[in-house]
Amino acid sequence: MNGQRIVALAWKEWREIIRDRLFFALAFVVPAMLMLLFGFGLTLDVENLPFAVVDYDKTAASRDYAYRFISSRYFAFQGYAADEHDVDALLADNQVRMVLVIPPRFDERLGRGEPAPVQVLIDGTFPERTQTSMGYVAAINSAVSLDNMAHALSRGRGIPLAEARQRVQPVKLEVRYLYNQSVKSIWSLAPKLIMLIMMLSPPFLTAVGVVREKESGSIFNIYSSTVSPGEFLLGKLAPYVAISIANAMFLWLLATWLFGSPFKGDPLFFAFATVLYVICTTGIGLVISMLVQTQVAAMIVASIVSIIPAVLYSGVLLPLPSLSPAASMLAHALPPMYYTNIVVGCFLKAVSWHALWVEVLVLAAYAVGLFGLGYLLFTKRPKA
Amino acid sequence: MSHMTNGGLLSVAGLRRLRVMTQKELLQLFRDAALMVFFLYSFTGDIYMAASGVSMQLKNAAIATLDGDRSFASRELASRFQPPYFQPAGSVADARQAIRRLDDGDVMAVLDIPPRFQERLQRGEQVSVQLQVDTSNSVLGFLTSSYGAQIVGKYALEAAAQREGLGAAGGIAGPLVEADTRVWYNPNQNDAWFMGISELLTVVTLFSILLPAAAMVREKERGTIEQLMVTPLTSFQILFPKVVAMTLVILAGSAIALFGVLGPLFQLPMRGSLVSFFLITALYVFTTAGLGLLAATVARNLAQVGMLTVVILMPMLLLSGAWTPIEAMPPWMRGLAWISPLHYFLDAAYGILLKGVGMDLLWDSVLAMSVLGVVVFAAGMRRFSRQFG
Repeated sequence: MNGQRIVALAWKEWREIIRDRLFFALAFVVPAMLMLLFGFGLTLDVENLPFAVVDYDKTAASRDYAYRFISSRYFAFQGYAADEHDVDALLADNQVRMVLVIPPRFDERLGRGEPAPVQVLIDGTFPERTQTSMGYVAAINSAVSLDNMAHALSRGRGIPLAEARQRVQPVKLEVRYLYNQSVKSIWSLAPKLIMLIMMLSPPFLTAVGVVREKESGSIFNIYSSTVSPGEFLLGKLAPYVAISIANAMFLWLLATWLFGSPFKGDPLFFAFATVLYVICTTGIGLVISMLVQTQVAAMIVASIVSIIPAVLYSGVLLPLPSLSPAASMLAHALPPMYYTNIVVGCFLKAVSWHALWVEVLVLAAYAVGLFGLGYLLFTKRPKA
Repeated sequence: MSHMTNGGLLSVAGLRRLRVMTQKELLQLFRDAALMVFFLYSFTGDIYMAASGVSMQLKNAAIATLDGDRSFASRELASRFQPPYFQPAGSVADARQAIRRLDDGDVMAVLDIPPRFQERLQRGEQVSVQLQVDTSNSVLGFLTSSYGAQIVGKYALEAAAQREGLGAAGGIAGPLVEADTRVWYNPNQNDAWFMGISELLTVVTLFSILLPAAAMVREKERGTIEQLMVTPLTSFQILFPKVVAMTLVILAGSAIALFGVLGPLFQLPMRGSLVSFFLITALYVFTTAGLGLLAATVARNLAQVGMLTVVILMPMLLLSGAWTPIEAMPPWMRGLAWISPLHYFLDAAYGILLKGVGMDLLWDSVLAMSVLGVVVFAAGMRRFSRQFG
């Protein structure tokens, strides 16, 4: 290992990157753009769900009941439909995602103190949205039911309404939302976006950067020089690691300032873990670049290899406990999940080394393993 | 003379040139072995992973109980948190231990039942129980509290009915509103259908942008574009075969994904007309390839194409409505969704495959996609002719 050669190579690579202005600009613009885009656009809150009402009862009670949905911010009322046959086309054409059907004798049954059925038709195309909407429907229905029960009890027993309310609801549930007390998506999302974007961008940059030399043939200059494989890899990758660390810092600033995510953890610990993670993801790019010959292939492989685990198996969009066993194994075998734990821990939970040392260790092992693999795959005497 | 050699679009020579150029593009594509391996993987293994591996629902969320009462009533309440939504994960002794287990991510929620729960319940007082929920994942946090509220609500109502004598033969009688919920198109909430189709559309989009753009820029980078320019080929005859070749390959990939993975392994219903599905897919690939070609006229080298692809691809995926409902986005973003071809393709693909809708409902999506395609393609052609014409 000759430090001077490494520096010279890194300098050469850096010059090459900054001379390609569009590439250089995009290397910084893309991560920031993704952060803004996902931060503002990727809300997981289900709101304004378009719905229609079919009211066969047409009484004050049924209208009151429908109004509970109409006035909710979770639903966006699209109008009354005459009967159930009309709603088929509305659901099929995505004009509404839910239809509330209030059957005849709704008012009459409730008036007699009997349970009244209603029908809810939900578009099941997007299962997660469907579940969330079903949760909203259940909440509204149980509120209405409790109200009705309390009124009935108050009338029947001649007790004040407040007391009746208490009696029909002997157990109350208080929910305490930990780590993110407002359950606002963006708070919990923005930190995880750092993980996501730092999984996408470094492998891509690195893979393309290395394969570019292969495809243009300039790598033969390296092959025929005295530079050793280790020196080449360190020098070549240093600028990409540096760019990615700068990007990660910028994303951290966006998360805390622009999106207002709280950062409760230890900044030093977080910086250390982030550098490790960036080295890991750069290493993924390195291994890819050793396996492919063309830049197109490098880009495809980098996108497929990094997007899927980052989006699906890291716990950002999808709950980890609900992964299938095979997917769960895959999630545990890849770095994004560990870094997600670190990010969430540092931002939202204020935990540090004592809770996260395993994660850090795994990332370190990953970094060493990937660079080792890249080193083994790199040979100065290619076949053919 | 010059008219003949320039080969009008519909002349025999013109058609033959298109065919030969298409063959050339296919050959070039197939020779990149690593690329083809990953192409196949994307349409099979990758889609299989996405469809099988992921569930967007709350399943078996670990819940611990902090039972301060240890009575019949408290055990009864705690025992109602059961699969499929919850998975009992033992009990904790005190609040500090509860927080610790939540901190470690060991449990998703802790149910905190106060002392004298049963006694106060029997005396007719109102008792509060607490559910502490880890909402680091806000969707999951919401679902946990939602199911928790339903379970406790039901328990409370039954307790009230028993105490107040409202119960009629075991059940509860009263002016309750009972929802009979029916889920259409995907009654069992099979995540594989949603995830599988969504992943297929993502993969199709990635290849539709990247392959034609890369094929174009590679010619620029290597200088072979100059060779093509001195042939009698028009810019249309150079660009169009690239798109045709990639469209053919991507359609083949989609067919493999549908009939080789999603159909046999996940019982995807495919309720609508498959002919219209593939026609619309072809239209979509064409439209999106136009975006790629436009990017290729901006980029000088493949690395730039790659970055530009990300710049185009990510907003398209986000604005499609697959991850985030369009109606929940801020208004300016909702406006942008209307110019994302994937938004229309998504509607059409889910519509045909899951809902079984036909052209009578899809014509507006098809029209919008065609208009976008023509505009983008024309812009790409124009820039290309200016650069090399």
